[in-house]
Amino acid sequence: MAYGPSKNRSRSQNEPREPNLIPIMNLFIVIIPMLMTIMVTVHLAMIEITLPTEAAGGGGGDEATEELEELPKIITLALLPDRFELMVEGIEEIITIPQLSVGTYDYFTLDQNIARLKENNENQGTIDLLPDPTVKFDTLLRSIDICKSNNFPNIKYLTSSTKYYKAK
Amino acid sequence: MNVLSVKVNRAGGGRFQSRNRGNKTKDLNITSLIDILTILLVFMIKNISMDAAQKNAPEGMILPTTVTINELIESGKAVFLKIYPDKILYGAESIEVGSLQDFLNKPEIRNSLLRLLQMEARSIISTNNKPCLLIQADKELPCRYITEFIKFSAQASFANIYFSAIHTDNRDEILGL
Repeated sequence: MAYGPSKNRSRSQNEPREPNLIPIMNLFIVIIPMLMTIMVTVHLAMIEITLPTEAAGGGGGDEATEELEELPKIITLALLPDRFELMVEGIEEIITIPQLSVGTYDYFTLDQNIARLKENNENQGTIDLLPDPTVKFDTLLRSIDICKSNNFPNIKYLTSSTKYYKAK
Repeated sequence: MNVLSVKVNRAGGGRFQSRNRGNKTKDLNITSLIDILTILLVFMIKNISMDAAQKNAPEGMILPTTVTINELIESGKAVFLKIYPDKILYGAESIEVGSLQDFLNKPEIRNSLLRLLQMEARSIISTNNKPCLLIQADKELPCRYITEFIKFSAQASFANIYFSAIHTDNRDEILGL
């Protein structure tokens, strides 16, 4: 006499079998820490500066004189311990941007002034930068960044300690 | 007085019998965990960057923040110089050169660093590349040292100088707004 299938057997055939997730778990446990270690959380940027070169002297004649007239005006930004100073070649007036409070530079006004200088000197793409030795690196880089974002891609770092302005 | 009583089932000839209910091990449901890990995995794969230059943020140094990014010049090869407030580290291997005061005051320190830079510049030039100096300095460092290093690197034939910074898209942060 044949017996019918047991209850247990029929139940095990009807129920869906659970996949074995342990190998996947093992893989994930290895991959996720590995990815976390190599993941870039901070994106670094590079800011290029150029060094001052010796000015090409000499030259003369009418053609050279005509070329000189079309040369862009030299713009110099001095980073001083208590203010920024902007000077444009041929203009005696120096734009002075004092600090908002002790240790807090007015980057917003600097940005506005540099944008205005760019409008007036569209053919100029270089700013000469003269930092005071006591000025912090953060101030230097922010100033370079402001110049570059206002379409002055070339920053000439003046390493000379000679001041550019006239003694009063 | 409370007495802890333990009931022992010794129906089967004095032997302990296992309880049927406790015999079955419960399966741990890890489906939800797998779901979370899959999302994490996809997110990380999307955000991963194999760019080595972006991973070289020096430890223990607070870099300034900038909006603009410049790329290395074509066929340029960068030499790293990490300037901490208390020490100078040279190259990708972070060889300690000395302190900033040593650099300014001790000629032997300056000469050894100059020799290292010159050697590196020569080896880069010999491979038809252009030597670039990547200065990574703490944001609180006075510019006096930066100027000295720029002058110094110019002596060692490094014409292209780069500063390292943390990139941000928020311009207001730069303007202090």
